[in-house]
Amino acid sequence: MVGKVFVSVEEKDFNVSEELDKIKGLSSESGAAVLFVGKVRQNKQGNLDFLKIESFSEMARKEITQICNQSLKQWKLDCIVVKHRYGKLKPDDNIVLLITSSAHRNNAYEASMYIMNLLKTNVPFWKKEISGNEEIWLENN
Amino acid sequence: MIKVKIIYFSRIREVIGKSSEEIYIKSEIVRDLIEELQAISSEYEVLKGKDFKICFAVDQKLLTDLDSSINGAKEIAFFPPMTGG
Repeated sequence: MVGKVFVSVEEKDFNVSEELDKIKGLSSESGAAVLFVGKVRQNKQGNLDFLKIESFSEMARKEITQICNQSLKQWKLDCIVVKHRYGKLKPDDNIVLLITSSAHRNNAYEASMYIMNLLKTNVPFWKKEISGNEEIWLENN
Repeated sequence: MIKVKIIYFSRIREVIGKSSEEIYIKSEIVRDLIEELQAISSEYEVLKGKDFKICFAVDQKLLTDLDSSINGAKEIAFFPPMTGG
């Protein structure tokens, strides 16, 4: 079976249950689905108003799709779902959903970690914290 | 001279003061383009990368070599290191 990749880059929020339902039945061989949800974290001062996520959306879709297609082969996955948001998000809002599905859990876990690491450094998104009058562009550690 | 669209994101967009522009350039590699832009006005000095690393994509392909060709390119994007996820 050839695995499937679903990628979206959009402003609107996602529903985790709905996304899981969408991939049900894609493969009778799937025995594991690993989910990762990245959310807006409150800053250390506790005064974060918004996290503004800027994106080069067209290129981001291409980069994510390329990463997913490579991961499908490397870990023999049945399915990958990536939904990445942009725009003005509040603390605790969802930023990104990643679902990796495979016959056994190890492959799904490993692929999830690999894909998330690349989403942080190789896909054109930029985060800016807005706290009162202060605006700070975030950097990856 | 060829006409290209140049796009700026994040901190670079804020410093240069525009998100994109279409200009005629004579440069054939990214390094020369950055110099060519700096000759236009001081805002473009941000592209020297003194304060943070400068990343770039040519026709939406992420590149790392400043000597990469931009011959025939339609769109060149400059941005700081990415912080997705």
